[in-house]
Parts: sequence; structure tokens; C-alpha cells
Amino acid sequence: MEGVGINGYLAVGAVLFVCGVICMATKRNGIGVLMGVELVLNGANVNFVAFSKFGPLGLDGQIASLFVIVLAAAEAAVALAIVLNFYNNHLTIDVDRANELQG
Amino acid sequence: MTPEAYIQTGTTLKWLLGIAWLLPLVGFAVEIFGGYWGKRFDPASNGKKTKLAAYMAVFCIGTGFLLSLSAFFIWKGATDVQLVTAAHAAEHGESHDGDHGDGHDHHDGHDHDEGHGHDAESGHDQDESHEHPHSNETLPPADDVRGQSPEEAEDHEGHGNDPYAAAFSGTFYELAHFGDLRISIDYYIDGLTLLMFCMVTLIATCIHIFAIGYMSDELTEDYEDHFVHLPGGKHFHRPGRFYRFFAFLSLFSFSMLGLVLAGNIFQVFVFWELVGVCSYLLIGFYVERHSASTAANKAFIMNRVGDFGFLIGLMILWTYFGTFQFANTDPQAAGDLGLFQMARDSHGQLDVVDTEEGKIVHLRGSPEDSERSIPYWLLIAAGIGIFGGCIGKSAQFPLQPWLPDAMEGPTPVSALVHSATMVAAGVYLTGRFYPMFTPEVLLTIAYIGCITLFIGATIAVVATDIKRVLAYSTISQLGYMMLALGVGGWGAGLYHLITHAFFKSLMFLCSGSVIHGCHHEQEMTKMGGLYKKMPITCWTMFIGVVAISGLAIPVLNVGLAGFYSKDAIVASGLAFMSGNATHFLLFFVPLVTAGITAFYMFRLWFMTFAGPPKDQHVYDHAHESPSVMTVPLIILSIFAIGCAWFGVLEGWILTSEPTHVAAGGTSAHHVALTLPSHDAIHGVHHTAGTAALFAAVVGAALSAVFYWKGLVDPAVIKRSFSGVHHFLVEKWQFDNLYDVMFVRPVHVVARWCTSFDKNVLDAFLHSLSRMTVVASSWDRKFDETFVDGLVNIVGTSTYRVGRSLQVVQTGKLRQYIMFIALGVLGLFVLLFMFFPRT
Amino acid sequence: MELLLFTVFAAAACGGAIAVVLSQNVVRMAFYLVISLGSTAGLFFMLNADFVGATQLLIYVGGTVVLLIFGVMLTASGPFLTIKSSPGDMVQAILVGALFLGMVVVTVLQVDWDGNAAKLESRYGVSSLERPGYNQRGEGHTTRSIGAALLGARFDKDLGKNREQPSTGYLLPFEIVSVHLLVVLIGAAYLARAKRRVNVPSEF
Repeated sequence: MEGVGINGYLAVGAVLFVCGVICMATKRNGIGVLMGVELVLNGANVNFVAFSKFGPLGLDGQIASLFVIVLAAAEAAVALAIVLNFYNNHLTIDVDRANELQG
Repeated sequence: MTPEAYIQTGTTLKWLLGIAWLLPLVGFAVEIFGGYWGKRFDPASNGKKTKLAAYMAVFCIGTGFLLSLSAFFIWKGATDVQLVTAAHAAEHGESHDGDHGDGHDHHDGHDHDEGHGHDAESGHDQDESHEHPHSNETLPPADDVRGQSPEEAEDHEGHGNDPYAAAFSGTFYELAHFGDLRISIDYYIDGLTLLMFCMVTLIATCIHIFAIGYMSDELTEDYEDHFVHLPGGKHFHRPGRFYRFFAFLSLFSFSMLGLVLAGNIFQVFVFWELVGVCSYLLIGFYVERHSASTAANKAFIMNRVGDFGFLIGLMILWTYFGTFQFANTDPQAAGDLGLFQMARDSHGQLDVVDTEEGKIVHLRGSPEDSERSIPYWLLIAAGIGIFGGCIGKSAQFPLQPWLPDAMEGPTPVSALVHSATMVAAGVYLTGRFYPMFTPEVLLTIAYIGCITLFIGATIAVVATDIKRVLAYSTISQLGYMMLALGVGGWGAGLYHLITHAFFKSLMFLCSGSVIHGCHHEQEMTKMGGLYKKMPITCWTMFIGVVAISGLAIPVLNVGLAGFYSKDAIVASGLAFMSGNATHFLLFFVPLVTAGITAFYMFRLWFMTFAGPPKDQHVYDHAHESPSVMTVPLIILSIFAIGCAWFGVLEGWILTSEPTHVAAGGTSAHHVALTLPSHDAIHGVHHTAGTAALFAAVVGAALSAVFYWKGLVDPAVIKRSFSGVHHFLVEKWQFDNLYDVMFVRPVHVVARWCTSFDKNVLDAFLHSLSRMTVVASSWDRKFDETFVDGLVNIVGTSTYRVGRSLQVVQTGKLRQYIMFIALGVLGLFVLLFMFFPRT
Repeated sequence: MELLLFTVFAAAACGGAIAVVLSQNVVRMAFYLVISLGSTAGLFFMLNADFVGATQLLIYVGGTVVLLIFGVMLTASGPFLTIKSSPGDMVQAILVGALFLGMVVVTVLQVDWDGNAAKLESRYGVSSLERPGYNQRGEGHTTRSIGAALLGARFDKDLGKNREQPSTGYLLPFEIVSVHLLVVLIGAAYLARAKRRVNVPSEF
């Protein structure tokens, strides 16, 4: 069957993943960081589904990606709540201001 | 008596006496705990203490007396086996009536007693026989002939007294069975036991009542002891110990009654020690006084010396006899025989056989082999050992010094110790254990008693403390008893024990009354003329003095209690001397001492009550004691006067006399010895009695000359015999002698031990400890340098690494993400580098 | 046709992601994120994962991103709408990201995927044509199989086969995720609820 092989999908996933990482590393906005996380998870999801199709994984890959989606939603809710709390406490969402963990 | 009646009587007596015995123990428990807690839980008493403990104690001992008395009458009624054979004796007595009607008025009194003794010995009831069974023709020959052989005595069985016929033995409770050894709470009840019970409980009751008055100053929460001086001129203050005193008295009574009731020698030993403990507690009652605690220790330790002998005797007896029981009197019982029955046959003779290894004594009734026997010398050793216990308990030479020191206790205690309980125990045991004593032991006993009575009497002559005079007189009188027992006058010794108990307790209570009335003044040199102030005490004391002196009215042959018993003793001594001329001292010393006794007793009375007051201050403050104290005096004086009249008392005592005593006998095993028979004693009774009375009268008269009329100044005599006087005041140097002989050597040995301890043991231990210190300091250095250093290095290096890594920990979120990404990158790079794809 | 669609979707997804990285305005970032995620959903459809693609659209695009936008609205008022990153950071991050990307791509390209699949098939005896859920009949219709698998029954593996032991399902993870969601719901509500202002003492 000719067409796009697994490598194309994996490349897209890698791009998404790296973009997410860069997003997390550069954004000072807390919500931007969250968006980076979503991108990372999404890249992973693309990989799962790609393996599901091109590997012997079958439905297991799809189910794993489903769980990831659900957990990402939950993570987003909690992270947003944390961001709101952070905003309440610091009156900003600049993550550079959150340096309480400094040793 | 039928077997059923025997068993029934035995059971009744057992329970009556058992209850009388245990009641004081109950009283003790209630008093000691009730007194202790009562004073805490009774706020209403408000410092004023209750006399409840005293009433409880009096109730217990008084009930005991009533029970004993009823037991005595039950016994008297039940054991009519005596009355059956009485006719024989009465007839035999009558046949001699008139034989002796030669106007020896004074002699009649003696006959009276002796008749009773003799009749009882032959199993008679002797109420009214005044005859003088003097001539020999109708007497069984064996009774008359001294020095009869045992074979001869066996021919006349039925004439010897059978003490087991009227005795009841059995077991209350069996404690343990160790192989052959059977340890149980037994009882042995015969006439002597019952008389002792009545005597002990009666005297103890009187003393208890007296003590209610005497100890009443203890009824306070703040008792000031004037004899304990604290630094700063103050006196010691403490809560009163009224209840404790009575609790101890109850325990004392319980112990003594248990001793008397005991049916085996081991049980006797247990109660023997209990009596010792009680005396220790009571002598040391004023424990804060140094003298009192020392005296208590002295009494206890000296008793231990004697008890050591007792223990040795016990071991010998058990090894060879295998039992501790006195005798098994039940005619139906198939049980083992007791000690007495094993040692002596039914005629009371020892079965001595000569063998190559020496003399041995065959024992009867051995269960398996009939060849059971004990070496004769071991029997002597056992007897002397047991008697050693009696020496300690009855304050005989050489263990007598504790008794005068025991005066440190309260006076009622002295009365109890000196009359009914403690010292009586020794004499009682000697009498009870009489069948086990060989003639050699008896001779020892006699000489010990002889020495003791002389020492006691001579010291009493110079003593000035009223209680000490009485204490020495007690020693002396105890010597009389031992002497009587030793020379074969079994009845005389125990007779004197009981009469002496009455008048000695009377005199002690009188002295207590005097001391109480004179506000704890005990020196006779400060008294005098007190007959005006305390008439009841004075005259009851006079009765006691007359009784102990053995005075009698020559024409009517009537005397007080001591007259009869002391004459019996002196007669025994005389009869003994006539059989054994070498032992003449055993008669003359008691005879002379009878005079000395009268002298010092009247001296005491004259110095205290007669003459002008010597110390006006004491005299002015003296007063008669309350009736709670004088009533017991009156009761006791009645007994001191009359308890020996008509000879019934001695008759009852003689029902328990061991079989072999009545006939006398000779012995030539190790010491050639002739023991007088009753008849022999009776034969010399008249002579001895006259001599003793003469001696007593001389003594009393001398005393009156010295101390009443003042015709001769005692001080002159004292000066001219200053050496002797000093010797006597120093109590024959016994305390010093023991100090040099025992205390000092012990001190020297102790010093050696101390120096050994200090120089050798301590040095060794010190060096050990020093080595330990050195080793541990090394260990510490090692710890500090290496172990701690290692730990510190780990800690400091960790700390430094943490410090240096601190800069990485910026707290910036984005930086962390960068680190993560770089880390993953680095990992992969490493992965590719080290695990290249093949 | 397939290649064309893939190119479009892949470009949109990657471009959206890169735009998210490069954009400084948070609202725009959200918009680009929607584009990227939606394109990813398109890729899922192309991979015959219809249920996952639908879920992606529903939850991610319809749920999570809306949530993020709510967050933006609640927090990013005025001055916080755009927070600029420093260019140094950007360069640094992009450098690292490029390295990462290169590494991943190299890794991916090094793997012989067909050979691996053949190895696995020979080991487990599953031919690619008979792959459960990817047979001709069931191609692209995965909803029923996924639902059954989440309840513990593996239709895709066990149906029509006589196995001694049924294949494992996902009932337990499903339950755990359910509870997890509940806890997250409560936790998020607790964390994000409006705090009552407490009068803070002045010296504090």
C-alpha cells in the first residue's frame, strides 16, 4: 500500500513535541506553558495512533491515546486552577515571578 | 475410759485449746491492722486514741482463759482412770496414818504436798488425804528401794504413773511430708499442758488489764519519750503506740500457747522462735532508746546461741528417731510411736546395750527393722542440745545476761516475759522433754541450775533498780526450777514454775505500779515510805515477797505458794545429795540461796515501802495507781497466796510425770548417778523444809536489821567488802567477760576483714576500674578520631556538594524545563555513544 | 489524494505548533493551538482512528482549549496579555529544540519499521492483514471495539477465536481514570474557587 508511511506521522509528532517543549521553555505566560504541555501530549498521541496503525499494537494504542486525552483534560483543569490561584496570590501569571523554589 | 469417750474428750479438748490458742492470733491481726488504719480513718478521734485494741486483746486472752479453764475441768472429769485406782492409794495412805503424828506441825504441810504427789503418781485422786505415806512396808518395794535395776522396776508395772493414759495427742493439720519427715501442727494435751494453759492465760489476762492502765500515756498522737535525748536538750516525740503494744502482747500470748500446745518438737521450735521474736519486739518497744534496742538485740542474739544447740538436738533426734512427735497416746491408733515411747519402754527405762562401738540405746517401735538404735553419747548430745535452747530461753548460766537487760521493755512486758511466757518456755520444755534426758544430761541441768540460782541471787542483793532486783530473782528462781528438774524432782520444778509465775508476775506488776506511781523512777534508793501513798501495791507486793521467800507460819504449817514449791525443790536436792554424796553442792547452794532470796526480796520491800522517804520529790508526787491496775494485783495476790494450798496443784502436775521419775533409779553409764525416788524425796522433806524455812527466816531477819530497823548500816558492810560488792555490781563480770571473749575478738577479726577488704579487694577493684577508665579513654579517642571523623566527612562533603549545587536551583520554571530537555538529550547522546545500533 | 491530505494536515499541525511558539499574544497562541490540534484530529482520521479523532476534536478543541481561553480571560487582563520572552531565551530554547528534533528524527529514521513489524508478526503470529480492528470490514469503525475494550472485553482480539484465556481489557484503568477525573474535578474546584478576602493584619 503506497502512501504516507509511519515515518511521516512520527515526524509530525516529533515536531509537535519539540514545539511544545520550546513553548514550555520560552513562554513566561503561565497559560502559554500549559499550551506547551498540550502540544507535547498531542505529539505523543500522534505517535500512539501511528503505532496503532502501522505496528502490531492494534486498538491498544488508540486506547492509550484516549487515556492521554482524558488525563490531559484533567491536567489542564488542575493546572488552570493552579494558575488562577497563582494569579490570586501574585496578581500576575508570569512564571518567572514564581521563584519560591529557589535554593 | 472407753475408746469412744477417749476420742470424744480428745476432740473437745483439741478444739477448746485450739481456739484459746488461735484467738490471740486473730486479736493480733485485728489490732495491728485496725490500729494502723483506724488512726487514719477516724478523724473523730481528734488525736485522742481509742483503747479498743486493748479491749480486743483482753477479750481474746480472757476468752482463752475461760476456754482453758473449761477444758481443764472437762479433762479432769473425763480422765477418771485416775480415780479408779485411787482407792488403792487412799487405803494405802490410811494405813500409814498416825505413823507420823509426832507433832511436826510444819512437817504436815509438806506431807500434804508430798502425799498428793505420790498419790497422783500412783494414779490417785488426792483431794483430802493428809496422811503421811511414810513407812515402807505397804509400799511396793520398787518405789522404796533406790538404785533399783530396770528389771526390778519392770516387775511392778502399774505402779508407775502412766502419763499417756490421761494425755491426748493428735494432729491439727499436716503441713508436709518429705520422705520420712512429717511436718505437722500437732497437739499434745495432758495435765501439764492444761495447767500451763490456765496459768498463761490467767496471768496474761491480768497483765493485759494492768497494761491498759500502765500504757495509757501512749494514748496520744504526741508521746514525749523522756529517755531519748535529742541534740539541743529536747526529748524525742513520736505518736503513741498503744495498739501496737497490745498487738504484740497478743502475738506473744499466741506464741506461748502454741508452744505449750505443740505436739512435736519441731513445732515447739517454731513457736520457740516466735516467742523470741515477740520478746525482741516488746523489749525493744521503746526502740528509739539506745539501751532498749541494744537490750532487744542482746536478748535475741543470746537466744540464738542457745537455739543453735536446739537445732543440733533436733537434727540428731530426727536422724535417729525419724519423727518429731512427742508421743502417740491414742491406745487405738496404729500410727507411729512418738519420741518418748521410742526411747523408753512402758516402765520408762532406757534399753542400753554395750557393744564394741560403745553403748547404744535400742529404740522401740521402729517400723521396718527392730534393730533401730542410737548411740548413747548422741542421745546425751541431743539432750544437751535441746537443753541448750532452754538455757538461752530461760536465761540460765552462761546465757543469763540478757534477762536483766530485758528490763528496758515496758513493765507489763517484763512481767509477761518473766513469769508466764518467755522464760517459762525453757523450763516447760525441759519438763516436757524429760523422757529424752539421760542422767548425764540431768546432772548438767542440775549444775547449770545451781550455778544460775546462786549467781542470780547474789547479784540481786546489790542491785538497786527495782526491776533489776526482780529480774535477778527471776534468774535465780529459774535456776531453782532447773535444779529441781536436774536432780529428779520433776514435779517440784514444774510446781515451782507455776507458783513462781503467779508471784513473780504479781511482783512485777507491783513494781510497775510503783514505777507508774513514781513517774518512771526505778531506783530504790530514791524511794521509801511508799506504804502510805500506795497501800494496795504495798501489801500485794508484800504477799509476793513472802511467797517468793518461802516463809510460812511454823505452827500451822500454812504458807504461801512459794513455800510449798521451794521446799519440794530443796527436798529433792537433799534426797539427791543423800544418794550422791559427791554432789553435795546441789543441796547446800539452794539452801543458802533460799536465805539470800528472802534477804534481797525483803530488802526490796523495805527499801521501797518502809522507812522514811529518801527522796522527798519522788515521795511527794507518788500516788496509788488506778483500779484497772490494782485489781489485777489483787487477783494475782490471791493466787500467789492460795494456789498451792491443799496440794491439788502438785497432784495435777504429777499426773503428767514421766513414768520413770517416780521410782528414781541408778545409772552408771558414764557418770555414776542415783536419782531419788518420790519416796526418798518424801523421806527427807521434813528436814529440808525446816532448813529452808530457817534459812528464809534468817535472810528476812537480816534484811529487816539492815534496811528496816537500820541497826546496821549497809554502807559499812559495803565498804568492808568493797571488792565483793564491786564484783556483784558488775554482775560477776559476765558482760565484761563476754566482751573480752566474744565482742573484742569479733572486732579484731572484723578489723582484719576490713583491712583485707580495703587493702586487697578494694585495691584490686580500684585497679580494675582504673584499667577500665584507661581503656575507655582509648576507646573514646578512637571514636572521636575515626568513627566521628568518618561520619563528619560524609556529612560535610554532602553539605558542600549541596551548597555548590545551590546555584543550579534557581526556582525558575522555564529553566527547569530546559534542564529536562537537555538532560533527555544528553541521555540519548550517551545512549547512542555507548549502545550504538548494531 | 492521501498524500495531499497528509501534507495539508501535517503542515497545518506543524505550522500551528510553530506559530504557538512564536506568537507572543496569548489569545493568538490559543487560536494557533486550535488549528494545530484540529489538524492533528485530521491526521487521526487519516490513521483510521475515527473515535480518537472525534474525541480529539470534542475534548481538546471543544473542551481544553475553551478552558484555556477561559483562563486567559480570567487572568490576562491588559498588561498580561502579552508577556514577551527575552530573545536570548528564545534562541537558546530553539537551539535545544532543534537539537532535540534532530535527535528524534534521526532516531526515527534509523529504525527499520517494516522489518520490526515483520519480526513482531512472526513472533506473535499476527499478520498485518488480520490485525484486529484493521480488517477490511472493521476498518475505520473502532468505536464499538474501543467501548467493549474499556469494559474489559476485547472483541477486536478475541472475537471468532478460540482462546484459552481472554485478552486483557481496560476496565481497571477506566475505573481509575473515572475516579481520577472525579478527584481532579473536586480538586480543581477547590483550588480555583473564589477566596474570601481576609483582612490581613497590617503588621503581617
